[in-house]
Amino acid sequence: MNLKPTIIVIEDEKSICNFIETTLTAHNYKVITASTGQEGLSCITSCFPDLVLLDLGLPDIDGIEVVKQVRSWSMIPIIVISARTQEQEKVLALDTGCDDYITKPFGTSELLARIRTALRHQQHLTGNGMINTEPIYSYDDLTIDFSKRLVTLAGQEIHLTQIEYKLVSLLAKNGGRVLTYDYIINHIWGPYADNNNNQILRVNMAHIRRKLEKNPAEPNYIFTEIGVGYRMRESQQ
Amino acid sequence: MKQSMHIFTTNKKKKERMSRQNLIKNTLLTIAVLTLATILAILFFYLGKNTTSVAIIYILAVVFIARYTEGYAPGIIASFIGVICVNYVFTYPFMKFNFTMDGYPVTFMGMIIISSLISTMTSHLKQQNKIIQEREKLLMEAEKETMRANLLRAISHDLRTPLTGIIGTCSTYLDTESTLSKKDQSDLIRNIYEDANWLLNMVENLLTITRIRTNDTPIHKTSELLEEVVSEAVQRLRKRIPGVDIHIQIPDDFIMIPMDATLIEQVLINLMENAYYHGASDKPILLEVSVVDHSACFKVKDQGKGIPEDKLSTIFEGSPSTPNHSGDSRKGMGIGLTICRTIITAHGGEIHAGNYENGAELTFCLPIEEEIIHES
Repeated sequence: MNLKPTIIVIEDEKSICNFIETTLTAHNYKVITASTGQEGLSCITSCFPDLVLLDLGLPDIDGIEVVKQVRSWSMIPIIVISARTQEQEKVLALDTGCDDYITKPFGTSELLARIRTALRHQQHLTGNGMINTEPIYSYDDLTIDFSKRLVTLAGQEIHLTQIEYKLVSLLAKNGGRVLTYDYIINHIWGPYADNNNNQILRVNMAHIRRKLEKNPAEPNYIFTEIGVGYRMRESQQ
Repeated sequence: MKQSMHIFTTNKKKKERMSRQNLIKNTLLTIAVLTLATILAILFFYLGKNTTSVAIIYILAVVFIARYTEGYAPGIIASFIGVICVNYVFTYPFMKFNFTMDGYPVTFMGMIIISSLISTMTSHLKQQNKIIQEREKLLMEAEKETMRANLLRAISHDLRTPLTGIIGTCSTYLDTESTLSKKDQSDLIRNIYEDANWLLNMVENLLTITRIRTNDTPIHKTSELLEEVVSEAVQRLRKRIPGVDIHIQIPDDFIMIPMDATLIEQVLINLMENAYYHGASDKPILLEVSVVDHSACFKVKDQGKGIPEDKLSTIFEGSPSTPNHSGDSRKGMGIGLTICRTIITAHGGEIHAGNYENGAELTFCLPIEEEIIHES
């Protein structure tokens, strides 16, 4: 029974906390709740959970501060819960080191999917911090073979430019997770790229979309989270 | 008490500072104009030997001073100085005062009267302008106030209905839980879920209003890619109404539109939701975007019964006064469309409602950026 993953929920709204606790317990997670940031931090240090669900609007300390403190000593996955109007804070939290976010209000299935993704990515993380991914990504008709650098759509090879392939593979290796504009630009164009100008990234994404999606306005593989970044579907394996 | 005293003194100080600034400004202006007039007068005097034009130049100077300074004093003082200059410098005997020469008393009196008249008139005009401006401001505020009141009324009306539904359903559930069948139970819960979702959209709409109206600052626009905005809006709507069938048609080009994406998404969601609920048709909703003359036109069409002609003119007003004879008062169109119009207007665009052969059609256009970005 000790195999149940432990999740700490830091949320000051009693009703939301209850609903999350009920859902997660029903889906075989061990849940510890905390209603303030301080309480949450001491819980994290004492229990060493597998995942943290963190509300950004806490009564005592800023949610971002909690992310910073946890990140200073641990890589525990953190999923931030935020309201729709807090784009800036969301991006800040992601760039500070939290793994993903979920926007209020969210359904149970969405929450569970995010948790599963975060836990799985944590398992891929090996001792030296390198990401150890599956050799092949596949969802629906799309397949990416990382070792051969081959992208196929329904068996047809798709020709991508160097940058486009890098982008797709970065997103695919992080399937299910949102990657911020800054994160992507840093990984593709290097740390000295102009972060304030994400135009080049968006142009490239538009080209990729035209090559991969049937209708760019109704994407099936790569989703835009405006003001935040991009999220690719998780591999079906 | 102390605070009010404080405010009073600071106000007084402010006034004093204002008047001192005014005084300096008036003095400087008077001196400048008079100097200019004197230079011109000297030129005329030595070139043309004509004293009449000298007097006219001074009268002109006085007129300008009276027009561009505040209060009567500068004009009158200027006219005195002008009279003295004309008498002392430019008329025989030169460099001497002589008020007894023929006709001069008339000229001097004339100058003083003209300048006083003009000063009085301009001050009057300025005061009247101020009063008119104040009145306009008051009127605008009153209009805003009525708009706000109307909005509040519409909101309370729109909020009450689903809340009543939720409370009623909850109490039914709690009272009769043991006797209800499994299916009835889940039906009740689904009703609550739908109503709550609807309420949430309402609240999000209200939040968008505060985003626009907080401090009258223009909305924060960034360049957004058309397809990204459309896809996110549709995705969010699908999350809320899972069964909704939408056909999207957008140009294949790379189109950037300056906008606040959250707000435009809200508009798209509102329009599509209206089409879904009010179109009341099983056929898909059409979302078409086209580029016409440097603006992107979004069309949301349903294939239902269309909008009654008598409602077309007031559809964006959001007045709850129109009786809900249709019975589906719950999904009042009012507030959603009012918000759409507010958002589109704030973007410098236009929104129209109408009917086409198969149903209702709502169109809004946004100005787009001229430069088309090519692959770099």
